[in-house]
Amino acid sequence: MQASFHPDYNPLIRKLESIFKLTDDERQALQNLPMQMATIKEDQDIVREGDRPSRSCLIVSGFACAYKMTAHGKRQIVSFTIAGDIPDLQSLHLKVLDSSVSTISRCSVGFIAHEDLRALCERYPRITAAFWRETLIDAAIFREWVVNVGRREGSSRMAHILCELIVRLKAVGLVEDDVCDLPITQGEFADALGFSPVHVNRVFQQLRAEGLILTQGTRLTIPDWDRLKMAAEFDPTYLHLVQENAAA
Amino acid sequence: MTLTLQPVRVGNGSDEEGMLVFNGNQRLMAVLTHLGDQYGALSGHWYLETGFGRVDGVSHPTFSDLDVAKDWISRRLAHQP
Repeated sequence: MQASFHPDYNPLIRKLESIFKLTDDERQALQNLPMQMATIKEDQDIVREGDRPSRSCLIVSGFACAYKMTAHGKRQIVSFTIAGDIPDLQSLHLKVLDSSVSTISRCSVGFIAHEDLRALCERYPRITAAFWRETLIDAAIFREWVVNVGRREGSSRMAHILCELIVRLKAVGLVEDDVCDLPITQGEFADALGFSPVHVNRVFQQLRAEGLILTQGTRLTIPDWDRLKMAAEFDPTYLHLVQENAAA
Repeated sequence: MTLTLQPVRVGNGSDEEGMLVFNGNQRLMAVLTHLGDQYGALSGHWYLETGFGRVDGVSHPTFSDLDVAKDWISRRLAHQP
């Protein structure tokens, strides 16, 4: 199935415009980018470490993650991926994938052939720059995760990842009135933060008890954004968003 | 290796019922806590709160009962996976 998004709701355009100013021509070129759509249920690998893909995957909706496994079968989630992200964009230039990408929730995914991405980049050098900027921001996010996992204490570490997710979701229009859908389980947070699931459970209880978060099923509400930011030592500079309101 | 248990209260704010785990030389090797009601399927299990020496590490497993916990700790002390 080919994708047909309204330009205002095209997740790729929306994501790139959160970090890069696009011209009308560039938006149109992105709008016309051929894409093979698929729906993938939760907890399924989209690509695996060691693969040599000939296409990259755009997350159109849902939550996914990139992860690596240790030799003893322990999983480390190295990033969370949301609508508008292309978690294996690097495979355009790095032939062998060094991490896997898995869905967290049911995802709608658009596969883009590398040859189409190459043609787009050759024709629109500023889109190449936008993708480059995106990969640089990904690297900034990885740096921040190293600091977070290596140096922040329990509740700050969790608060920081929540702040990051909220700002990123907000940048693609997925937060309304400080409420968002966050289908990431405590086990997945544990694998991302280097905690045990029991520790994640306790940290969530602590954040709730301090009034920093409200949760109802997968719905997350932030009653006081400034207090959560302070608890997280969160400075959104590393996300390099161009929209002022997205980094609020 | 014979491990011995000693009940203890753990001041972690919740799940205060705990056990100190000593090796045959009466050295403290681990602290286990009994998980309360808020953990879903893990409630009632024993959690490796912290370990020392060969029990130290990034793994903080949960165990269905104290015998399973002691087996796991014994294997770690014996350097078995």
